[in-house]
Amino acid sequence: MAQHDIEVTISKTGEVKVHIKGVKGKACMEYAKWLTNAIGVVKDQKLTSEYYEPETKARIKLQQELGTGDE
Amino acid sequence: MSTIIILSPILYPAIIGGWPVITAAVTAAAVGLGLNVKEKVHEENKVEVAGAVEVEVDVNNSEVLTDNVVSGKELVLTSEEGIVIRVTRNERGQCKVCAYGKGFSKTELKARAEEFTQKLVQCFSYNRTVTELKNKEFQMINEEVMEDGSIRLHVRRWVD
Repeated sequence: MAQHDIEVTISKTGEVKVHIKGVKGKACMEYAKWLTNAIGVVKDQKLTSEYYEPETKARIKLQQELGTGDE
Repeated sequence: MSTIIILSPILYPAIIGGWPVITAAVTAAAVGLGLNVKEKVHEENKVEVAGAVEVEVDVNNSEVLTDNVVSGKELVLTSEEGIVIRVTRNERGQCKVCAYGKGFSKTELKARAEEFTQKLVQCFSYNRTVTELKNKEFQMINEEVMEDGSIRLHVRRWVD
């Protein structure tokens, strides 16, 4: 089992900062895509070291679960 | 660490539940700022107050798809000091916040309208985010309001 954590900060002006943790490789982008679809438009994005770690099969599973498959 | 994204919210209530979604955010914002939700009326019933100054503020990214929204709906909020805030939508479907009251300058009213607009967007973002996270079975680990007025959420879920 993998632990997926998300830290969300909603500023006073309503801007939403999302920090996705514990998701290796491009799988974290599935969460990013899902939350973007739900909330609004991307103003800024930073990839951190974990993004470049080898991804697992989790990405495909997440795509199916979050409905964020390639369009 | 994996990724950090910063999102600007879009208030497309027609896509995600119609005017009631905006109503929920307006009500939450009103509670947060100590305003009373006085009544929900149609625009044609608006009561004109003689001598009242009025200012209007647009809510960015709030265009509503016209199909699902009843024209002329508005929410009226009142503060104890006598400022009335109306949340309505214009002909393009965009949300508008209008503040008026007797004995207040335009600057004061604009400040109140902008303060309310910010709170409205924050409440909308909060409701939207929490609903989506709960739908995907994230558990709330921590939730706190920071000194600067921002809301910080920490959620978690376990994946096979």
